Amino acid sequence: MTVLTAGVVAVIFGSGAYLLLKPDLFRVVVGIVLVSNAATLALMASGLSRGDPPIAPGAGAEVSDPLVQAMTLTAIVIGFGVAVLLLALVYRIYTSHSTVDLDELSQAEARHEAELEREQVEV
Amino acid sequence: MVYAPLALPWLLAAGLAALDGRRRSVGWVAAGTLTVHLAALAWLGLDVFLDGPRETVTGGWPAGIGIVLRADALGVAFAFVSSLVLLLALVYELQSGGSSRTFPALVLFLAAGLTGLFLTGDVFSFFVFFELSMMASYVLSAHGGEARQLGAAFIFAVVNLLGSFVFLISVAAIYHVTGTLEMAAVAERMTLVEPASAIAIAVSVFVAFGVKLGLFPFHFWLPPIYAGARPAVAAILSGAVANIGAYGLLRFGAGLLPLELELTAGALAVLGAASIVYGSAQALSRRATAEVLAYSSIGQAGYILVALAVGGRVGYAAAVVYAVANSLNKVLLFLAAGARGPLVGGAFALGALSVVGLPPSGGFVAKVELFLAGLEAGSAVLVALIVVGSLLSFVYMFQIYQHDYWRARPAEPASRTSVRLLVFAVALLVLAAGVWPEPLLLLGERCADVLLAEGGG
Repeated sequence: MTVLTAGVVAVIFGSGAYLLLKPDLFRVVVGIVLVSNAATLALMASGLSRGDPPIAPGAGAEVSDPLVQAMTLTAIVIGFGVAVLLLALVYRIYTSHSTVDLDELSQAEARHEAELEREQVEV
Repeated sequence: MVYAPLALPWLLAAGLAALDGRRRSVGWVAAGTLTVHLAALAWLGLDVFLDGPRETVTGGWPAGIGIVLRADALGVAFAFVSSLVLLLALVYELQSGGSSRTFPALVLFLAAGLTGLFLTGDVFSFFVFFELSMMASYVLSAHGGEARQLGAAFIFAVVNLLGSFVFLISVAAIYHVTGTLEMAAVAERMTLVEPASAIAIAVSVFVAFGVKLGLFPFHFWLPPIYAGARPAVAAILSGAVANIGAYGLLRFGAGLLPLELELTAGALAVLGAASIVYGSAQALSRRATAEVLAYSSIGQAGYILVALAVGGRVGYAAAVVYAVANSLNKVLLFLAAGARGPLVGGAFALGALSVVGLPPSGGFVAKVELFLAGLEAGSAVLVALIVVGSLLSFVYMFQIYQHDYWRARPAEPASRTSVRLLVFAVALLVLAAGVWPEPLLLLGERCADVLLAEGGG
């Protein structure tokens, strides 16, 4: 089971990392969401145990590890907040640059820097 | 007692978030809160200094179940310096009239996150506070900037989030191999973990904090964000948020994973040296003040890593003293670079002297500590590196000083007197750290003792 989860985490993390390298900002956001889910899954897997739900354990029964579940819930919430924040940033970028492509953004930046350089020379 | 400095900015931040931060009253309530928060931290610090670390288990749970808050010299020192930086930057921004709707609340959230992070004794809540403060800084980094700044802010957020999730995975790994999240217990059980897993954990923790601190191979997000941000935001990012990296490396490296730190010291020293050389060389080739300061931060982070690599009491003390002095330098320089008029030039020059490590500045004390660490390690290369790094920083700092203050320029209106006085006050603080270095040195030693006790020798 541990090996299997490790494999799944690796695949999700890898896909996320691949998307992070794309110039399209939406893909980058999806990449971060995937990476955050890989981390969440790793957290869940770090305390894999069989047993009754800790909130209502049967008499004398083994209880599964509640701590990882608490941590995972927290991590999910954080991942969600992060995704929303990133999407808001992408939207701001879209409204001010009318593009979500990193290549076009950096071209605009290069133009801006060339302008600055010209101004400095004039001064 | 440990709760007060943590809860105060947190509650007020949640309240102020609903109000319009452009109103002066809201800004000043935030500044007042931070002042009380600083006083509470100072009180806590005094108590820790006299009676040793204080520990509280939250929610009244028995030890081992609840989340532990632990105030020791190292944590309180970093919390105090970071909050001081936040207060200075907030007052600066209020005085220069650049506050936005969310600015005061974000600064308070950042204060709460940073304080929690420095005072927690639990690995997972460290991550939670870490994310709380990083989220506030992602939003802050886009504050007041031009459209161009948004792209830099996005890259900053994405790179740091990747770092955060790598850290979360290492938290999962720590829990898996030790079965506990409490730092003290982790430090104890980590010695029994098989070396292969421990090294893998140590490396991912190092990557996570290297990204935060802006160390050489992980630095690429840093210059655009520092160069484009408003002076107060740049001061917050380099003076307060970057402390997460320094503290994390000290707490996790020296405190929780001392064996792995010792094992990889050579590699860390090389990375630190690369950071110093790269940061200085890049800073030399830039002319915009904010950009030079940004690359200089990469170099300064290298010194902290080198001190950490030397290790032992002297090395850890040097790392702490250097991190504190570096925070103050960066605040002074970024704020001074954003202001104009009399007093500002002198303040900038003092900050430049402090970065170089010349007396009578706080930076001099830090460089001496670093020098001692180099001698302790008995490495001629290290000592030479510190000297060369300082010389390079002398050249690039005074190159921009000359460029900014000695050249006839189109007349710019002077900043408000209150802004200039604030910058001057920060300069006096840096000066005081250099003229009366005992408190800083004592602090460094106390922190080193904390780490050595935690790391078990």
